[in-house]
Amino acid sequence: MRFTAAILAVGALGAATASAQEPIRIGAMYPLTGGGAVYGVPAMAGHQLAIEEINARGGVMGRKLVSVERDDKMNPAAASSTMKELITKDKVHIVVGGLASSVGLAMSEVAKQEKVVYIATIPKTIQMTTDKLHRHVFRTASHTDFEGDTMAMLVGKHKLTKLCQLQLDYAYGNDLEAGVLKALPKYAPNAKVALTLKPKLGATDFNPFIPQVMAAGCDGVVSGLWGPHFVSWVKQAKPLGFFDKIKWISGGEIASHEIAGELKDDYPDNVISNTYELWYHAQDASHKAFQEALAKKLGTPETPQWALLGYIGVHYAVAAMEKAKSTDSDAIAGALEGLTIKSPVGTLTIDPKTHQANIGQFWGPMVKKPGRAYRMMDPIEYIQPK
Amino acid sequence: MTTTMFTLNAFYGLALAMNMFIIASGLNLIFGVLRVINFAHGMFYMFGAYIIFTVTKSWGAPFFVGVLASAAGLAVIALVIERLLLRHLYGKEHLMQLLFTFAVVLLMSDAAKMIWGTDQYSVGYPAGLGGAVNLGFVVLPQYQLFLCVVGPLIAIAMWLLVDKTRAGRIVRAATQDREMLAALGVNVPMVYAAVFTIGSALAGVGGALAAPRVALVPGMDATIINECFIIVIIGGLGHMWGSFVGALAFGFVVQFGTVWAPNWQDVLPYLLMLAVLIVRPWGLFGQPESGR
Repeated sequence: MRFTAAILAVGALGAATASAQEPIRIGAMYPLTGGGAVYGVPAMAGHQLAIEEINARGGVMGRKLVSVERDDKMNPAAASSTMKELITKDKVHIVVGGLASSVGLAMSEVAKQEKVVYIATIPKTIQMTTDKLHRHVFRTASHTDFEGDTMAMLVGKHKLTKLCQLQLDYAYGNDLEAGVLKALPKYAPNAKVALTLKPKLGATDFNPFIPQVMAAGCDGVVSGLWGPHFVSWVKQAKPLGFFDKIKWISGGEIASHEIAGELKDDYPDNVISNTYELWYHAQDASHKAFQEALAKKLGTPETPQWALLGYIGVHYAVAAMEKAKSTDSDAIAGALEGLTIKSPVGTLTIDPKTHQANIGQFWGPMVKKPGRAYRMMDPIEYIQPK
Repeated sequence: MTTTMFTLNAFYGLALAMNMFIIASGLNLIFGVLRVINFAHGMFYMFGAYIIFTVTKSWGAPFFVGVLASAAGLAVIALVIERLLLRHLYGKEHLMQLLFTFAVVLLMSDAAKMIWGTDQYSVGYPAGLGGAVNLGFVVLPQYQLFLCVVGPLIAIAMWLLVDKTRAGRIVRAATQDREMLAALGVNVPMVYAAVFTIGSALAGVGGALAAPRVALVPGMDATIINECFIIVIIGGLGHMWGSFVGALAFGFVVQFGTVWAPNWQDVLPYLLMLAVLIVRPWGLFGQPESGR
């Protein structure tokens, strides 16, 4: 017992004397195993790229960055306890990451209790920046209200009138459904939702739903089926000619190259969707520089979109500390409000009231290109909230 | 529900049931003979899907070569696991075996991450099975029709093997009384190894056959193992035709249940299992333990 006390005392002394040169610890949590790893692993790669770049230019306030990386397991309960450990045991100064909306909400709750800033880099549920908003949570990803708004705009643009809505039955899907419904009267007053179906998160068998949508006679589907859900839907629906007669307007980043490059010929016609990043499209020189650095790190030019979000999260954390000239949580939170940074996809500002960054997404139809084995977005439009 | 929709739903339920039967029958066979509840069976299924991906997409082999490769790959993996590790646990407590198979899940999940990374993959339909057949009043996808043929074929093959051959007689004897079988001069450890290998190869075939219809992602093993247990428990542990009927019940309940009561889609298969357990705790085709 006395021995433990001695170690603690020495530790405290050490901390007090060395704090000037002590590195800044950034906690990062993404799903690194299980189904979410498809996104979490590339997001972590972007996170690491940002850390490496910042350390190469001398760190922050003369201090090195140390990245403390953990698996959130895409499980809210596990993520909660992991984040508490990051804060109490690893003494991180800030936490970035999360992927699933349910996990983002759980991490936000820990940030609130422990009074440590959490920057949500991927979770999209609107609740994080409305009902569940608090002093220490910020978001640098897009959100379900804006995504729903853009989808409704596209419904209006394509003059669709009879819609089938497909959403996964959890926080993200339910909130995106509400976001679409909220915006439909504005952009597409003639559009009616004839059928709403909600497969469960993680579903692999969509055969109970596909015939219902086909029988409903919709001219458009608004969907939030992301990643593997979309792929499984396509594999099961395409043989029936499902995509021949409908427009599939989708959130959930199914226009990302990860999906187009994997599905290749199986990627269906008539899909209009979004993605945070397209390796074959750079906005300007700094965007191109980011893409090249990432390509070098990952060893392929066809880089995944999720890296950008991990990358932006770190840059926001660092910019806030530099502005606050402190690693104190309240000072960081104060600095993040209204903070503007230069990101690879343009200038971003965090709204001081909602704690939401005005990040946009690339939207467009996925079309066949001569000489390419996979579909690409064309024309590409960057849609950013004002 | 119109005739068209009813036919379509019944057909989809059947196709799902047949895919599930192929996977669950392997789990059931292993339990029936070895009395080992193999938690790693879902992981074997996932490896089957990943192996066919590598063989067909990276190496360019035809689909059915890929199915055979998945079966062979899983047979080898299973044989190594059985001979080196699992055989030491026969006759030990069930808890030890459970923990062991769970450890296999963790090991293989890390191995999969090392071999295939965490990207999402998809496998194309085999040539000539990627379209649909128009029967006039209903359009059916060819690949699901194919599953509806393969499932019963595997069931019949297993029935012939287990009920009509000498090897099958030995396997059946092993489920009844392993000591007596050993006393009669049969190499029981070899029987066990063979059964574990065949059962695991079935998981590989099931994964390979599921691959064209679903996205291949890490974690695809997690739900399938639960669903296999539901099927095996409904049918009666260790009973082959029980698994067949269990799979049919599962397929139809999932398909029609999700159409009619979408809010219940998560719990319906469990409710089905619960209902069966209340009426017949030993499953539809099983026998009470005391009756053995």
